[in-house]
Amino acid sequence: MRRGPLVVLLLALAAAFLLLPDLAFAGEPAPVPSRADYPTVGGMTGRPVVWALAQMHLFLAAFVLAVPMFVLVIELTGVLSEDARYDSMAREFMRISMAAYALTALVGGGLTLALFVFYPVVMDYLLRVFDGQVLVYALLFGLESVFLYLYYYSWDALRFGNRKWFHLSLGLVLNAVGSTLMFVANAWVTFMMAPSGVDSTGAVTGSIWQIMRGPLWNPLNLHRFLANIAYGGAIVGAYAAYRFLSARTAEERAHYDWMGYTSNLIAVIGFLPLPFAGYWLMAEIYAYSQQMGITAMGGILAWLFIIQAVLIGSILLAANYYLWCGLGRTEGGRRYTPFVPFIALVLVGGFLVWVTPHTLILTPEEVRMLGGTRHKVLGPLGIMPAKNTAVNLMLLATFVSFQLFRRAGRIATVRWAWAGNAVIVALYAVAVANIVGAGLYGYVTPTVYKVGSSVPQVATTLSVIVFSLLIDGAMNRGAVRREVHWGRMAVRSQYALFVLPVAFTWMMGLMGYIRSSVRTNWHVYTIMKDASPDAYIPTIGDAGNAITLVTVGFMAVIIFVFWLTQLGSIKQPAPSGLAE
Amino acid sequence: MAKRLTVFALALILWAGYFYAIDRAIMHGQGLPVGADLMPPA
Repeated sequence: MRRGPLVVLLLALAAAFLLLPDLAFAGEPAPVPSRADYPTVGGMTGRPVVWALAQMHLFLAAFVLAVPMFVLVIELTGVLSEDARYDSMAREFMRISMAAYALTALVGGGLTLALFVFYPVVMDYLLRVFDGQVLVYALLFGLESVFLYLYYYSWDALRFGNRKWFHLSLGLVLNAVGSTLMFVANAWVTFMMAPSGVDSTGAVTGSIWQIMRGPLWNPLNLHRFLANIAYGGAIVGAYAAYRFLSARTAEERAHYDWMGYTSNLIAVIGFLPLPFAGYWLMAEIYAYSQQMGITAMGGILAWLFIIQAVLIGSILLAANYYLWCGLGRTEGGRRYTPFVPFIALVLVGGFLVWVTPHTLILTPEEVRMLGGTRHKVLGPLGIMPAKNTAVNLMLLATFVSFQLFRRAGRIATVRWAWAGNAVIVALYAVAVANIVGAGLYGYVTPTVYKVGSSVPQVATTLSVIVFSLLIDGAMNRGAVRREVHWGRMAVRSQYALFVLPVAFTWMMGLMGYIRSSVRTNWHVYTIMKDASPDAYIPTIGDAGNAITLVTVGFMAVIIFVFWLTQLGSIKQPAPSGLAE
Repeated sequence: MAKRLTVFALALILWAGYFYAIDRAIMHGQGLPVGADLMPPA
């Protein structure tokens, strides 16, 4: 039987499904909900319930989607380097993720239920817009579960040779399905922020592809993709720290020290490009609606960006501190410790610039004493050119810490190593001058130049990372490896690994709240108004309490997950008289 | 030492040229002329 026509027919049907407008509902506007359309349960309105469940689901989903990504890379590294330790570490990472997977699905189910109970009219409209695509999501979720279990449970059965490559391909499919699942869910979120494929009344006019591919979809996809990797790395790092602190043997300590180092590295790699992805998302928000952008960064929500700066500063300080402690693992690391105070100075200085607000919340008396709402000296540090400069210098400082740590374990043997070092030092010197220069340029030019000159700053930071890695890589070809004393790590360094997931979780809650709140009193921005009693932006204090509560809740869940994972590796010894 | 300083100075010039080129290209790419018009009319 020839399959050609059948394949063509199936492809045509798939294309029709994706590209044609939903004719059944074309022309039907979005409903206009009234107060009666928002049920309360036990006197409770929908917002706190949905907020908590959605945030908890996002924390868990980000974690379980991220872990298989870097696990696949670690497993591949193990195959290519023929080092079995990578394989065992990759599997241990997966074990943590598996314990969290069922909880993710459980909370996701609870969220769906809550959405239909509390927001029936909104869900009715969204289902009408996305139509059959929700079934695609359900299918993807099913596939994700199948491939996740296949990938994890076939680990021992597919260990060597071609079978190992088959196992890696299972991991690849798992990640492809997981990423697609996230991209589909992101489309629902970005449709509510910046609807596309519908007219001004909300009537569907485009295909499902046009509805999905709104102006904010890809920026959010990239931002969440990178953030998930950083977040997943931070959480497994906390697991490694927990196991390191409770280790009873030197061997165990060494293993979990190495695991903690790898986790921190994953978190830093995911984190370094993250501010740039966030910047792209904000730029697209501004491009879509200046009003929405100003609500986020110039209105009530702007103060939350100051808290964000505190959290990012904490993350960078913790990640750097961990790397500095790690210099003690090799004999060669000690010679780099004199650089640490200078790196710390850049980090703390950048952090202080970043947390400086543009305008202050002041009493009339304070305004009079200050001579205005802005401080004469510190006020100029409150605008974006200063903050962009600070963040780029902080990222460069973090990269220096990483580079020093990397060099501590190797002795370059190439004859031109001295020249390579000179070129790298020159690269940093010119890059810093360029970043600072572009920042100053933003002060003497109109706003459009202020925004525009931040892009060369980003390009400069990325250039330093790429060129440094290339030159370092060439210099370290055939380098002598120093012995790394895994486990020779101060106990206090492990607490830095606990800071990372807590700060990340808090920040994700905070920024997620901002992303959702920029819609103000709209369910679907400019199309469907929120008529519920919760159609207002809560005060910063109330929002902070809600976010903190969910963060604490998630920490409790993750401690349970760690405990479960550890429980799985404990074997009760047989009572005396009974054979093992 | 002199050799090291020479390489360092040459590298400074090289990197300065590179960053100048990408700065200009990126600003031009955004439709923002750079150079003499440091303070263009608003």
